Amino acid sequence: MIAWYEANVVLIQSMFISLLLALSIQVPFRAGVFSLAGIGSYGVGAYTAAIVTLQLGWPPFAAIGAGMLLAAVIAYLLALVLARLSGLYLGMATIAYSLILSVVVINGGELTGGAQGLFGAVSDLQTGHVVAVAVAAVALLALSERGRLGRWIDTVREDPELAVSVGVPVAAIRQLSFVVGGLLGACAGAMNTLLRTTVTPEEVGFHLVVLALTMIIVGGSRSWAGALIGAVVFTWLPTVLAFVGEWQTLVYGVVVAVAAIFVPTGILGLAQDFVRRLRRPALQGGRS
Amino acid sequence: MTVIEARDVAVHYGGIKAVDGVDLALEAGRICGLLGPNGSGKSTLLAALTRLVPLTRGTLLLDGVEYQNAAPASLARRGVARTFQTVRLLPDLTVAENVRLGADLRRRPPAGIVDDAIERTGLGEVVRARPGELSYGMSRRVEIARALATSPRLLLLDEPTAGMNQAERQEISELLRRLRDEGLTQLLVEHDVQMMIDTCDDLVAMNFGAVVAHGSPSEVVTNPDVQRAYLGKRWRAHA
Repeated sequence: MIAWYEANVVLIQSMFISLLLALSIQVPFRAGVFSLAGIGSYGVGAYTAAIVTLQLGWPPFAAIGAGMLLAAVIAYLLALVLARLSGLYLGMATIAYSLILSVVVINGGELTGGAQGLFGAVSDLQTGHVVAVAVAAVALLALSERGRLGRWIDTVREDPELAVSVGVPVAAIRQLSFVVGGLLGACAGAMNTLLRTTVTPEEVGFHLVVLALTMIIVGGSRSWAGALIGAVVFTWLPTVLAFVGEWQTLVYGVVVAVAAIFVPTGILGLAQDFVRRLRRPALQGGRS
Repeated sequence: MTVIEARDVAVHYGGIKAVDGVDLALEAGRICGLLGPNGSGKSTLLAALTRLVPLTRGTLLLDGVEYQNAAPASLARRGVARTFQTVRLLPDLTVAENVRLGADLRRRPPAGIVDDAIERTGLGEVVRARPGELSYGMSRRVEIARALATSPRLLLLDEPTAGMNQAERQEISELLRRLRDEGLTQLLVEHDVQMMIDTCDDLVAMNFGAVVAHGSPSEVVTNPDVQRAYLGKRWRAHA
């Protein structure tokens, strides 16, 4: 077991970072907000953590906190500015945030290291810290899916007009989803930087949009569990598919296309439907 | 005492005057029926009263206080609840959870309010079912139960008995009258004229976005303008 862990520690770290990244867009999706601002926040977190570690010598959790705080402020401002947008238009506007960030860090001079990025952001952040943070984030999000807040979020996603009529603060829930997505994305970016000690513009580029969307489409967007499924699948799939060599990208494409067409609610939705079908006869029996 | 009032309310969509210069006042503890053909502006007026559509002009008052600029979500907290013309339930929640959504308005809702709303609307046997498993009439009841779970002072109902059979309509009519007797003010939009006569204390008839008659049910249904616009000349009340 220890040998397996040591051989796969980088993949294990990647899985938990990917989980936080996937959650950064799953949270707004769950509230019906098609925002990919979590990806831009990943870049903000990654660079902020590197800068404060290199230039100010901050300890890892202070560096991560700084990245999360800055990303949350930007996400809140974005939520205010983009309040009138929805659907694809909102998606495009938030992708633009990520693209603009890439341009900014390339042209950021010494502060961001330009096209080469920043190196040597050494810290004592361990795999265990990353796992603990991811588990804490999942636990909080799981709580948010239950009770009053869970029903409010479901209502904002399914029917904003109905939500308003029963007193749900729709605008506040949407803003909250932006901010939480920003916090999660920044946390993922900051921890990735501190684990690897480097960050480059390529690492915070457009491919993260594709990766995060892929995980959510295949896993499911209605719950944290969908993000977890997506993160597990797309972390370990390359290992499983090693034998197909350069055809891996094609297999990815097929997996995503099949999921989008035949399982629009993701693997999680498929599992939930299955459980519901198993329970239905019992329910009908109880009602008769 | 007037609970809610609309003064010279207009809602225009471009050149279409969905509601145009409507005056309406609901007295506390009474059921006011809103009658009119499809497209006469009834549902738009309900949407205006609940701030779901912006006014082109006019004034809205709740307990004498203007609220035409208030946030729509604040109305539920001030005791205004509504149901919709089409069934709007959350498909993944059970009947009980859909009703609880109304009670979620308050951090600590009154004890037993969800059970009470479920019992009053006759949903006791389907509390664990999901909306997809319910008949249209039962889904309508869930909407009413959800509105009641907000502990409203004013209930706006947009065709609450659509899709129900005669016996079910009778049950809902009796429920609404019981609620009225307990002090709940209601505005009822319906197409079933006999039900409106049996249920309402006052009727308002609309056509082309304007009020064409206002008064007791017998006065309104015998009004020549109303008969021409909606009822047809041969219609006679059975009451």
